[in-house]
Amino acid sequence: MEEIVKKKNGKSLAQFCNDASLKIKKLKVDEFEIYGASSTHNELELFNEQIDNLSFAETKGLGIRIFKDKRVGYSYTSILDEYNIDKCIDRAFSNSKITFQEEFNYLPLEREFKNSKGTIDKKILFSEDFFNFDIKQKIQLARELEILAKKKDKRVTGINNLIYNDSLDEVMILNSTGFFDSYRTTSAFIYLSVISKEKDDTSTGDFFGYNRSPGEFNLEEIAANAVNRSVWILGGKKIKSQVVDIVLDPFVAAQLLGIIAGIVTADTVQKGKSLLKDRIGDKIFKGDFDIIDDGTLSYGLASKPFDGEGVPKGKTVIFENGILKTYLYNTYTARKDKKFSTGNAVRSSYKSTPEVGVSNFYLKPSKTSLEKIIKSVDKGFYVIDIIGLHSGTNPISGQISVGAKGLWIDKGSFLKPVKEVTIATDLLSFCKSIDKIGDDLRFMPSGGYIGSPSMLVKDIALSGK
Amino acid sequence: MINTTLTKKILNTLLKTGGSFSEVFAQKKEVNNIRLEDGKIENSSSGFELGCGLRLIYKDSTFYAYVDSLQQDIILNAAKILSAAVNETGEIKVLNLSNVYSSYITPIKKHPSEITAEHKKEILLSVDNFARNYSHYIIQVSSNLSDLEEEIYIANSEGSMCHDSNTKVMLSVSVVAREKKEIRTGYKSLARTSGYEVFDSQKPSVVSGEAARIAVIMLKAVNAPSGSLQVVIGPAFGGVIFHEACGHGLEADAILKDASVFKDKIGKKIANNIVTAIDNPTMPYHWGSYAFDGEGFPSQENILIKEGILQNYIFDYKTAKKMNKKQTGNGRRQSYRDIPIPRMSNTYLAQGKEDPGSILKSVKKGIYAKEFSGGQVDPAIGDFVFGISEGYMIEDGVVTNPIKGATLIGNGPEILNKIEAIGNNLDFAPGFCGKGGQSASNEVGQPTILVSEITVGGTEI
Repeated sequence: MEEIVKKKNGKSLAQFCNDASLKIKKLKVDEFEIYGASSTHNELELFNEQIDNLSFAETKGLGIRIFKDKRVGYSYTSILDEYNIDKCIDRAFSNSKITFQEEFNYLPLEREFKNSKGTIDKKILFSEDFFNFDIKQKIQLARELEILAKKKDKRVTGINNLIYNDSLDEVMILNSTGFFDSYRTTSAFIYLSVISKEKDDTSTGDFFGYNRSPGEFNLEEIAANAVNRSVWILGGKKIKSQVVDIVLDPFVAAQLLGIIAGIVTADTVQKGKSLLKDRIGDKIFKGDFDIIDDGTLSYGLASKPFDGEGVPKGKTVIFENGILKTYLYNTYTARKDKKFSTGNAVRSSYKSTPEVGVSNFYLKPSKTSLEKIIKSVDKGFYVIDIIGLHSGTNPISGQISVGAKGLWIDKGSFLKPVKEVTIATDLLSFCKSIDKIGDDLRFMPSGGYIGSPSMLVKDIALSGK
Repeated sequence: MINTTLTKKILNTLLKTGGSFSEVFAQKKEVNNIRLEDGKIENSSSGFELGCGLRLIYKDSTFYAYVDSLQQDIILNAAKILSAAVNETGEIKVLNLSNVYSSYITPIKKHPSEITAEHKKEILLSVDNFARNYSHYIIQVSSNLSDLEEEIYIANSEGSMCHDSNTKVMLSVSVVAREKKEIRTGYKSLARTSGYEVFDSQKPSVVSGEAARIAVIMLKAVNAPSGSLQVVIGPAFGGVIFHEACGHGLEADAILKDASVFKDKIGKKIANNIVTAIDNPTMPYHWGSYAFDGEGFPSQENILIKEGILQNYIFDYKTAKKMNKKQTGNGRRQSYRDIPIPRMSNTYLAQGKEDPGSILKSVKKGIYAKEFSGGQVDPAIGDFVFGISEGYMIEDGVVTNPIKGATLIGNGPEILNKIEAIGNNLDFAPGFCGKGGQSASNEVGQPTILVSEITVGGTEI
């Protein structure tokens, strides 16, 4: 099936970028940038060990930024014939005429790079093993996961969702300052959600694997986690509203950390939409925590040699010992603050312009085990899963109120399952109430690639009965 | 977009290895998006997409491939490779294709392509101006104006084909208000399956005024209460609760997977008898409306719950076939890159009889949830959460302080039985719904309703 890729179109991504650049050079523009991306994508959904859906595709596209009179215009196309590329260029040009004029609107210059080039070995983004799996093996892998999960516990009655997808991506940037570079990445993702039943109660639980190659999945662990997260909640009940200490599973903690990731970007700060505006140098966390954005992390699935506008990626310590040290910048926001770009221009695809965002963003773990943290809790709530993160949190006002399920902790051990309750706080109080963190750093894809250890958070409002 | 001869060739190539159904979906799309923030046009972006998706069904399995092209050799090659996924001998052959028609006909007056970028910029500037002049507490306004024009061609091995086109326009406004350390936000959008004539009847400034009003009023908000309370849910966007907590559980794919609380419930009473719920993609120019679904099936009204009794699920081709039911025209897809799946369109709780004011008056102690920031549900168990973006306390029948940071948490099927009053002020609100990695334009709707108890997740214990 992968044949589609090769036969589709003779031209490489580099040729498309080059051809487009020759066309733009004939126009009276000040500067330009071409962002090219191609992707080979497989997606598979199993149900009852049979293929429910299997899809495969190859796509290519160009996104063109045109700078004229310190204004920027953008246009993209997935139709890579001469006529449509011309149309795309024209439209980017005409779009530039209505956008605002500002002195900071020009392409990044090498002398503005804070991070040095070539700090990352492009090989780490790419797994040769990825190509050892044909579609049959991928189906087999997903089947194996389903079988493993069903065997784990007899209360598992079915599979809610079992999805496998992978992609082989190439990203390329060519701009009029002479920058021309590319990289290739492989990634494979598998997601399992199981349903379990006991008496009248039904519960779901999910888990995932995300690696450079399907060969790196730990199926046993994924199955066990999905099943446990489901069966542990069986028989769960609402409890009465109270203020309580909570322990957050690393993936729950990572989701909340993701909200902080959203307000350390210079863009939100400059627009007055961040609670961390004017707070550089302030102690935001009670504990001496370090939060880092590292676009070069060897095992980071968001690692890249350069960001969405060609600026080298690097490592930025955002919080050190709980103190806010810096924001994250792309070129435009850095110039506005008279700083250097931290290499945090992100683009979700060729369809979007470079915004500011995180790469591998994580809270540095401690040496305390989760077990020890749980033991230290006299009365508390261990949160296994949260629901409604996007609707229940407002990153601008800082309000957080999400649905939660998990286990009740009594005198340092788990007592009973709890569900249909909410936990609520506000973002800055949350930062101040994190009392301990664990040694179990785990990452999940959520915007960037966000990692956190378990957390013990003091005095959180829990609503139930 | 693809001629009949080639269409037949594609459909037959797909079926030659024994598949039972084949389909080609071709799409050409142009989008424009302009964003204004910080008082200036930050971004003006356009996009051009063209391609086709090929679908092959064999037994219970769907095989799918798409290409960014409408070239004959490229599509046929993809069809050949796709058909290799099945290993039987073919029997079905498509000999005739006939046009399917829809009764949903909605002329477009002002096509986005005929509107100048300058004019679009003016719309955003007026939006920005209006919000900023609303109150000195307003520190940021972000507005987006996007439009879409697309042509679609769908044909399948059952011999039907359709030609369709869509035009959509959306304006959304986010406002940030600040008073000392308190920061609040307000959001409002206007979205129609139509051209720019939408602004002839609805002023852009009304949208930004509403977003500004919410942000400013929420500055005075007190901490939300916690625990089980009576809740009055406001009209229009309040319908998101039904959409999330019940609608998704009525989508037939969830039923087939035994991942819905509504399995085996057709003909049974699942809600208080004042509840009637409808999915209707044929309401002219509504955001979730269409002439044909993503499988070329004409849109139609689907009554889901009538007077408390479950009437029907929401089907696409594959789930209807499997459950031996009629297709309902809800096989929607985000683009040619996606497989159609059963999804809602414009889904709402039907008009009731009561005066919304007297519903509020009947509450001794509770909350009035007027606007929501969205929600999430686990359809397998029906549990949901919703974030309230504009809410108030109700004390002795009077709406009092605004509340902040409140979430509603509960169980869909339980709530359906706890709806105790329905107002006579049915209204709709547009939004996007995500499912299976695909985004679809949806509208939710309802009149004001009273729910006897829902857990409110605030911080005031």
